[in-house]
Amino acid sequence: MSTAIDPWARPDAVDRRFLTGLNPLAKLAAPLPAMVLLIFARDLATPLAFIALSYAVVLLGARLTARTALLVFVALPVAAAVIGLSMSLWTDPARVDSAVVIVRIGDWMLSTGALAVGFATGLRLAAIVALALIAGLTTTGPDLVRASVQQLRVPYRVGYTALAAFRFVPRFGHELEVIRQAHRVRGSHGGRGPFAAIARWWGYLVPLLAGAIRHAERVALAMDARAFGAHPDRTERYLVPWRLRDTVFVLVFWLASAGILIVFFPWTL
Amino acid sequence: MTSAVSGAEAATADDLPPAPLLRVRELGIRHDGADAEAPASATFEVRRGEVVLLLGPSGAGKSTLALALNGLIPHAVPATLRGSVHVDGLDTATTPVSRLSTRVGMVFQDPDAQLVTGTLQDEVAFGPENLRLPVEEVLARAEDALRRVGLWDRRHENPDRLSGGGRQRLAIACALAMGSPLLVLDEPTANLDPQGIEEVYAALGDLVAAGDRAIVLVEHNLDAVIGITDRVVVLDQQGRTVADGTVDEVLRTRAAELHEMGVWLPVSTLAALRLRAAEWRLDPLPLDPAELRAALDAEDAPAGSASAVSAVSAAHNSASTGVCPTEPADPDASRRSYAREATTTAAAAAAKPLIRVRGLRTRRGRSEILHGIDLDVAAGEFVAIVGANGAGKTTLLQSLAGVLPVPRGQVMLDGVDVGRADLRTLTRRIGFVFQNPEHQFIAHTVFDELAHGLRRQKLSEADVRRRALDVLRRFGLEDKADVHPFLLSGGQKRRLSVGTALVAGAPVLALDEPTFGQDRARADELMRLLSSLSTDGTTILVVTHDMQLVTEHAHRTIVVGDGRIVADAATSEIFADDDLVRAAGLRQPPLRRAFAGLTRHPSLTGITRLADLPAAASTPAARADELRSSASTPQESTASLRSSRDDAEFVRPTLDPTPPAKPDATGEVTG
Repeated sequence: MSTAIDPWARPDAVDRRFLTGLNPLAKLAAPLPAMVLLIFARDLATPLAFIALSYAVVLLGARLTARTALLVFVALPVAAAVIGLSMSLWTDPARVDSAVVIVRIGDWMLSTGALAVGFATGLRLAAIVALALIAGLTTTGPDLVRASVQQLRVPYRVGYTALAAFRFVPRFGHELEVIRQAHRVRGSHGGRGPFAAIARWWGYLVPLLAGAIRHAERVALAMDARAFGAHPDRTERYLVPWRLRDTVFVLVFWLASAGILIVFFPWTL
Repeated sequence: MTSAVSGAEAATADDLPPAPLLRVRELGIRHDGADAEAPASATFEVRRGEVVLLLGPSGAGKSTLALALNGLIPHAVPATLRGSVHVDGLDTATTPVSRLSTRVGMVFQDPDAQLVTGTLQDEVAFGPENLRLPVEEVLARAEDALRRVGLWDRRHENPDRLSGGGRQRLAIACALAMGSPLLVLDEPTANLDPQGIEEVYAALGDLVAAGDRAIVLVEHNLDAVIGITDRVVVLDQQGRTVADGTVDEVLRTRAAELHEMGVWLPVSTLAALRLRAAEWRLDPLPLDPAELRAALDAEDAPAGSASAVSAVSAAHNSASTGVCPTEPADPDASRRSYAREATTTAAAAAAKPLIRVRGLRTRRGRSEILHGIDLDVAAGEFVAIVGANGAGKTTLLQSLAGVLPVPRGQVMLDGVDVGRADLRTLTRRIGFVFQNPEHQFIAHTVFDELAHGLRRQKLSEADVRRRALDVLRRFGLEDKADVHPFLLSGGQKRRLSVGTALVAGAPVLALDEPTFGQDRARADELMRLLSSLSTDGTTILVVTHDMQLVTEHAHRTIVVGDGRIVADAATSEIFADDDLVRAAGLRQPPLRRAFAGLTRHPSLTGITRLADLPAAASTPAARADELRSSASTPQESTASLRSSRDDAEFVRPTLDPTPPAKPDATGEVTG
């Protein structure tokens, strides 16, 4: 149980780094233009610059736990390398610069051109993920919902219902496990292979959905019974204000992004 | 409601007794798609500060009625409502639920389905926040409510970290924080273990003692609530009010009539009715264990039946501890009825056990749950596995049945190593019934559900058909063969799940908390089904929290704690040890609590089962009959429990009321 992720856990009170103090929407809005434009980048330098920028922000602004360190320094670089390598293997050799060949096996060869194209893709994805980490590592779901309700004027009925749905996730995980167990005991294994697997999962779906709908209805009744949705708004005990520093953070980040994008224009190899 | 009517009420309020807080008039509710109303015509009132217990046979619509009290019916649940419900003068049919919520607080059965937020404090604050109260008021109410249920110190924790009882106390706090003068609790302890039940009643008791809230309680664990109840309202099978009055007026004077109607009564009262039939006076009729004990201690045993009592209980006690009764009243009867119970101990050890467990260590993921279990189960035993939450009961049961992977050579089942056997081999030897029957349904019709297990055994289609139909008949489902399993009623689903576990011919049936979340009547029906299977020779292993069911039905009880077997003996021996029961996080069942402290009638002190009580006739033949039907509850004639009568019994309306075909989701809420 202790390993289950608690979507409700609030960041430690001691965490006074600047990112945790920012409005979740600011942390989403700041990297958004860069994330969108990175999709069109084809070079190595632009994504690298953005990776550097977001790493700097995350490392300065968030508390580095063992978990985030692992994510930032191991998982992401490894993922980028794996994607980069596999992409370069798939690259059409006819369309890249194959002057310098690194590996040659019979007819097949891996050139620096292919490698560059592959790693450009890997780094591009890594950069987008790194930018998302700015908000991802320092924002809790409930805070994001509260900010959306308070600043974006998302109806609270939608926002808080989504919040209540957070509770469903671990419950359904557990229920699915029990259903799989029960079906295994009944011997509805159905054999190997993709089709048997699809049939098997289809069989899990019916009881899972029946349980889910029933649970959702019960939760809805319990929320109704506590006057949820009675009024156009509700008391907010946790304010997630948009402060000057949020505006400053967003503007500075946008300027930095613009700087990087201008320096490396036209973002091609 | 028009303003003229409320004005008229206000005018008369001064010279008449204060208007009732809740007034239900000829209320009939039909769920959309159902063909009958349940309740059909409920009428009662609740005044401020009053505690009203709502009773009725299963299917009378008690839970549906509860949903109507704060307007969830008809506003949130599609149903047609006849008659009227007025709360504090407001007509629930026209007043939105949100307005009613400040007058009626609800506590539902499933504590998990009432959680919305991430900390206890946020959870309790959720309702007041919805009411747009200022922050200070929200916090003040949250603090007050949490303090009243004893959870204030844990206010910053995630509700997931609470036990079931803790979560249900939290739900009570949430209802309190709404500030409503009326609380409606619908089976608040049905999903809890004994410790959780005790916690919830302690919290409720404090609430009643404070006297500031009226309470409507739908509850099956009556022995615990009678003491705090002011008034009892009884619905009949169709959901019409048939009795409404004080506990004395309704329960003490009309208990026998209510019992006849299928209304569940406190176990202590059932015991007293039975003793009365054996010519005890017991006037006034006791309603809880303490009263029963006091009443028994206040009078002499009726002449003529005293010897019968001692003979019966002596026979039972000695038989269940494995010692031969020295002078059984009827040797033949005694041998027949206790032959199987005797096998639990000395005899069992001698015979080759059906299940043999040695040094069992089961892991779940990285942690070891069972730390070296040794266990033998003989064929035909009825074994209950009990223990606190997290003790490893379910893990033990699942290990025995091979549901969880177990190391080789540690569990032998009917000569097969469970650690090595494939599933097909195992399903022929042991059937496993999960807590929620829906989880194990895999086919689209009831017939195919049963046929599945047989087809896997590679039987001919004719054989499959014959045996599946046989099981259908045996479990009272023959007219449901073509129905989708999910469309059955709760009781039918449960019976089908037992049927699918047994259809392949398994001599052992393992059930994981089969009575969890069910009302008393359905739980009792299932346990009687298990007892009749046991009589026919099936070995039964059951994990359950319901101690009265354990003492009524199980020959042998295994107490599990911290992944080890704490105690393993005949059921009566286990429950004779108060310290052991308490230390294991369990509680004594009501009968045991009533009889254990008796000073005047030593012959009764060891009794834990209704069936062991002396009954009306005390001729040797009747006693023998009594002994044979020891698994039965008193309302059944002894013959009806024989397996030959099972079919007839299952289709009896009082035992299996097919609830109207409500939409499944809401149907289960009311279940």
